[in-house]
Amino acid sequence: MAIVRRADPVDLTLPDVRVDRPANGRKRLRRFVPISIGLLMAALMVLMAAAAPLLAPLSPSAQFADAVLKGPGVVARHLLGTDEFGRDILSRIIWGTRVSLEVGLASVLFGFAVGVPFGIIAGVCGGRAEMAIMRLADMLMAFPTLLLALIIVTALGGSLTNQILAIGVALTPNFVRLARSLALTIREQDFILAARALGSGQVRVMARHVFPNALYALVVVATLYIATAIRTEASLAFLGLGIPPPTASWGTILSEGRQYIKCCPWITTFSGLAIMLAVLAFNLVGDALRDLLDPRLRGE
Amino acid sequence: MLQYVARRLLVAIPMLLGAMSIVFFAMRVLPGDPCVAMMGDQATSGALADCTKNLGLDRPLAVQYVDYLWRSVRFDFGNSFRQGYPVSDYIARMFPHTFILVVASAIVAALVGIPIGIVSALKRRNPLIDYPLRIIALLGLSMPVFWLGILLLIVFSLRLDLFPLIGGGDLDGVIAMIGSGEVFTEPRDFLAGVVDVLHHLALPALALGFTLAATVSRLSRSAMLEVISQDYIRTARAKGQGERAVVYKHALRNMMVPLLTIIGIFVAIALTGTVLTETVFTRPGLGKMLVDAIGARDYPLAQGAITVFTMIIILVNLVVDMLYAVVDPRISFR
Repeated sequence: MAIVRRADPVDLTLPDVRVDRPANGRKRLRRFVPISIGLLMAALMVLMAAAAPLLAPLSPSAQFADAVLKGPGVVARHLLGTDEFGRDILSRIIWGTRVSLEVGLASVLFGFAVGVPFGIIAGVCGGRAEMAIMRLADMLMAFPTLLLALIIVTALGGSLTNQILAIGVALTPNFVRLARSLALTIREQDFILAARALGSGQVRVMARHVFPNALYALVVVATLYIATAIRTEASLAFLGLGIPPPTASWGTILSEGRQYIKCCPWITTFSGLAIMLAVLAFNLVGDALRDLLDPRLRGE
Repeated sequence: MLQYVARRLLVAIPMLLGAMSIVFFAMRVLPGDPCVAMMGDQATSGALADCTKNLGLDRPLAVQYVDYLWRSVRFDFGNSFRQGYPVSDYIARMFPHTFILVVASAIVAALVGIPIGIVSALKRRNPLIDYPLRIIALLGLSMPVFWLGILLLIVFSLRLDLFPLIGGGDLDGVIAMIGSGEVFTEPRDFLAGVVDVLHHLALPALALGFTLAATVSRLSRSAMLEVISQDYIRTARAKGQGERAVVYKHALRNMMVPLLTIIGIFVAIALTGTVLTETVFTRPGLGKMLVDAIGARDYPLAQGAITVFTMIIILVNLVVDMLYAVVDPRISFR
């Protein structure tokens, strides 16, 4: 008689999820903390930019001869002190939010609008189109973002439009690469085959199927690039290639204040802090979005 | 292997040519005349015409372009418009300053970033450890290097007077001593020179290193997370190995392979960082040279600096591609 070895019965009952619920709920809530902080900071920044005329206590270009290089609070009306022309640092920082936000958002939109279509074309069509687009993107990628933006701004001049254009062009190859890699994966999916079988042309497949499916990943990366764009704008301004005066920009305030770090460190300290907080806000949002949408990190 | 190297080189050459063309044409649309920048607004038209001819700017653009490419291939970037020196000599003099800055900041970044990344990955379920470490990384990533540089200058140079405010030390002297053999005959002078260079290097390396450490820690964290979810780590644990052995013997070694691939990105970020760091600390180097050259509309000097930057990035990426294929034998040299 054959000996039949029986395995122990496997417990197929589900663990009592109710026991873990409070801990899980807390865990789930904790995952939303960084994005909440980031979104709050970004919302404050948008509010500051939109309501600059109402929030700024003084005009950003008004010069007060009686309050040149005064420290924070030394003169009651200048909460964060003044610069070498007696201009109010707080008002300049509040108005500077507009420049940073405009350049950050517009240059990312530019990079997105130019880079994503080319990336999707490269990914879906392949062949010579892909080769031409990707070689051009590789060529631009050989330059770090700041270096490429530096070359373009130097060539075109430092107006707001040129800054947006320069940083936008410098960001474009990143969007091309990402959109192509996403399109390469999406084009192999069954629903693309189904769409083609139903008679969809190449353009329709790209616009109605590939693009919407790539959108969420592109938006997450775009959020992170807003932070890069803000930092690049500040870096260009610091190198003396920013928006020309009297427009207030954080990088310009910092660059001008550099000469006075010995006597008046508040100029560089507060303007640098504003840059850091803005970059941090978008980094937090982008990071948190990526973590929330990455299925591998769920439950961590 | 040789075929793979040759193919990668063939891909790198058009990339480099394209990048050099972008630099050339961008420099040519720069507003302002370099001769006016050199001689001032008061210069006579005759003098300006002579200057334009001497600099070769009166030749057709296509001729200038071909000449620039041909010279660049031989590392001859012409003479600086303002200084008159050959650009290649200038670059050769500035390169060591930038090189030691990149190396020193890479050391800082590795010493700070890799442990933070590893601990953050291993203790990811302990928010008291993971969160502060991730916040430090995020702060480093968000803090502009020029601001951190200024803060360090305010505290350590101006307030505490521990480090010099500007300059890079006598690196040329130190290099000359090594070249002439004086390092053996005058070891005290040599040591004093090295200490002086390091003294000047400390703050810039800290500033750049800390901002780079943020990138390194995030990449180390994700590399570590990737590795510890592998089957061989589970096997090691199942064999009864202690956590320490699992981390040091298995995870750490395998984590270094994906870290290799980031060297390319790292060098690109570090080189960009040197442009800002050298400007903040008024240190000699390729980055500061580039900013000064652009300000002075010194085409050959700016072109030379950007070409060298681009060459370094393309070459490093090429080497990393090959190294990666050598380190990980699963990658075939197709």
